[in-house]
Amino acid sequence: MIKIRDLAFEYFERDEEGNLTDMINAIRGINFDARKGEFIGVCGKNGSGKSTFARILNRLLVPIEGTVIIGGKDALDEDNILDIRKAVGMVFQNPDDQLIGSVVSEDVAFGAENLSVAQEELWERVITAVEQAGLVAYGARADGVEKYVDRRINELSGGEKQKVAIAGVLAMKPQCIVLDESTSMLDPKSRLEIIKTMKELNEKLGITIIMITHMMEELLVADTIYLLHQGKLVAKGRKESIFSKDSKLFDYGLDYPEIVKIREILLENNVIRDKSLFTVEGIVARIKKEHPYSFELGVKLPAPMPEHKKIDPVNAILVDKLSCGYGKKKVLEDISFSVGKGEYVAVVGATGTGKSTLLQHIPALLKPMSGTVYVDGIDVNDRTTDIQALRCKIGYVFQYASQQLFGKNVYEDVVFGPRNVGVSEVEAEKRAYEAIKLVGLPDDIYDMPINKLSGGQRKRVALAGVLAMKPEYLILDEPTSGLDPVGKTEMLDIIDALHNEAGITIIMVSHDVETIATRADRLIVLDGGNLSYDGDVAMGFYKQWCDGQDETAMSNIPVIMQLLIKLRLAGMPVDCVETDMARGVENIIKCLR
Amino acid sequence: MLKDITLGQYYSTDSLLHRLDPRLKIRATIAYIILLLLDRNVALFGMLTVVFVVAVFLSRVPLGHMIRGTRGILIVVVLCSAINIFTTPGTGGVSILGLTATSAGLIKFGFVVWRMVLMIFMSSLLMYTTTPTELTDGLEKCFHLSGNVAMGITIAMRFLSVLSQELDRIMKAQEARGASFHKGGPVKRLKAMSKVLVPLFQNSIDRAGNLGEAMDARCYTGGKGRTKLRPLVYDTKDVVGYVVVLVVMALGIYLAIRF
Repeated sequence: MIKIRDLAFEYFERDEEGNLTDMINAIRGINFDARKGEFIGVCGKNGSGKSTFARILNRLLVPIEGTVIIGGKDALDEDNILDIRKAVGMVFQNPDDQLIGSVVSEDVAFGAENLSVAQEELWERVITAVEQAGLVAYGARADGVEKYVDRRINELSGGEKQKVAIAGVLAMKPQCIVLDESTSMLDPKSRLEIIKTMKELNEKLGITIIMITHMMEELLVADTIYLLHQGKLVAKGRKESIFSKDSKLFDYGLDYPEIVKIREILLENNVIRDKSLFTVEGIVARIKKEHPYSFELGVKLPAPMPEHKKIDPVNAILVDKLSCGYGKKKVLEDISFSVGKGEYVAVVGATGTGKSTLLQHIPALLKPMSGTVYVDGIDVNDRTTDIQALRCKIGYVFQYASQQLFGKNVYEDVVFGPRNVGVSEVEAEKRAYEAIKLVGLPDDIYDMPINKLSGGQRKRVALAGVLAMKPEYLILDEPTSGLDPVGKTEMLDIIDALHNEAGITIIMVSHDVETIATRADRLIVLDGGNLSYDGDVAMGFYKQWCDGQDETAMSNIPVIMQLLIKLRLAGMPVDCVETDMARGVENIIKCLR
Repeated sequence: MLKDITLGQYYSTDSLLHRLDPRLKIRATIAYIILLLLDRNVALFGMLTVVFVVAVFLSRVPLGHMIRGTRGILIVVVLCSAINIFTTPGTGGVSILGLTATSAGLIKFGFVVWRMVLMIFMSSLLMYTTTPTELTDGLEKCFHLSGNVAMGITIAMRFLSVLSQELDRIMKAQEARGASFHKGGPVKRLKAMSKVLVPLFQNSIDRAGNLGEAMDARCYTGGKGRTKLRPLVYDTKDVVGYVVVLVVMALGIYLAIRF
């Protein structure tokens, strides 16, 4: 369906007078083939050229060299633009800036309207597309899809918005859908749903899927994987070869999927002898086959300990019976917890459960409807409290770096905080310098304009801007979202260093269960505006699974725990309250007969 | 506070007013505003208030929701109109801080507020019952706008709330780093606000770029040959609607002349 040979693309940088100042080789010499009905994954770290590649597929960008044939048509020919865009639909990264309509039906119809589809057929297409994209159940047509398609876009969650975007593409009846990191801003549940939807579209309708991502787990559903690095194609193949030991993924800034890492440890320990397993179920079946005597009848799941960490009133941060909401709607209800100095706490919960809302109360960025927040014994909402001193003490790093950075260059941005609190210019400069050092950015980045920075660098500058305030507590909202595996590890190492060496208390909101499992000491779970768990990390994840016991609950816990739970369900009396990979495998070995 | 802005936002429900043709709704609103400006007497305003109450009832938009969305403007209106109390010549008694409130002034104040409140409520009712796309389709037809202009208006309306959310987050991010928007003189405050606008503009430009790309990807070529999911077609209820508008207008003009 798609055939690309010797593709090359360059970005030109021009100064204010239009003179050429720089030329960036975004893509060089890529060959690419997609058959009809194939599911293709394209991966690479940030800046590897994968987004540029996606845009060439839809002819949003025109390559400078090479041949691009899409659906038998030459993409370089001006006359074929609309045919190609009709055949290849795109779903972009950010749910907030790709939807045009104000209500669902308007947006889903937008593309089809542009194709001059007749009105009666438009409605048919909109409703079918909404069903296919998994926004409503199949056959929901009888009992009022109309009600759903009349919903306002602004009221939808991120995952739903992405499904609307997919439906909008489907209404154009494409042969191929390109997803450009479309799941990177979603929570695990929505991510899983989107991947499932794409798999279904691929299998049921035979639509070719090209999924661009740096989340390694997602690549496991693909038939063929292309690996890009610095604009070049460095590897191509099935998942077996891409995720084999000698593919040097780390050199390309990538990582192996968790399940592959676990399989490798199991192989090393001779628990299994099959190198071709890529699913938790597959590994469970294999262990069962190789060690049948390790499984017994009547093994039950242990009951979770409903732990609630004792609230210590003299603790550093104390949230006491906090409730808040907009109008009559309550977002948070009667929440109490405390955090001691030097802790590393992770806060999890589905999108919209009020995690960020809760934490914004700590530096008094929001006022509670009822309840009190104390920091070092001081009521943050008291009129006499020195708010500036409080906010110096509590650093808050927001999710989107672009909403925090505003200086004309890195230095000007980082120095904003210290200047605000009235320290001397020399001291402010010193703090900015130290903060930029702390986040591991080089010295020559000082004068770099913000818009020249990569996504990972922006996140670090945003962190530096907060660190320059010399905080004792650091609240981080999704510090790793949008980062590739290497960028993520670097960011987490910086946070670890701040925690261990500078003794900063960390409170982190994250959707990334593997990160939390390996880094945090304590877990707080929010569920529908209530605090449903507060305590040990492994037990917290285990309780989350026990509460749901379905696929969604599975997506919310680390892969090693998924494996342990499934082994236990199959009859192996293994200790499944474990989130560490090595210890988890040890638990399995202990149970082998 | 910013979350309260519901001006220009569609209120999703099914009602008679929601189903009327946007062209009718736009023209009716304009006629209503003309009537309000025609004269200042209790009979006319009373009749128009009744019309408004009936319209709200038919729209199924909760009045509380409307008041919350327009609260900011209402306060400004009341404050500005209050000047009338003191500047209208006439007999009066009470004087505050050297300003004399006159009874004529009070009456004028009452009428100005009454008029402005009806005007604001009625036009926001149009917004609540019409999706931005319908509204721009209607405007396009009523004022003969080009398709591109109409599309621009649609998108601008859709992104109002996105931008207000973003503004809220940017301000919070800066407050968290010690900025304060509520302290100091007006110059200092303006300076603080200017730092908020930089990322807001930068992000808006980025967003516009992304949105443009998304529109290109979905084959948008400027509106020519586009079909419409909800084409504007009059049906019986719209005809009845026009008749009602004409009757109300005639009645209004009569009341304006008679009293």
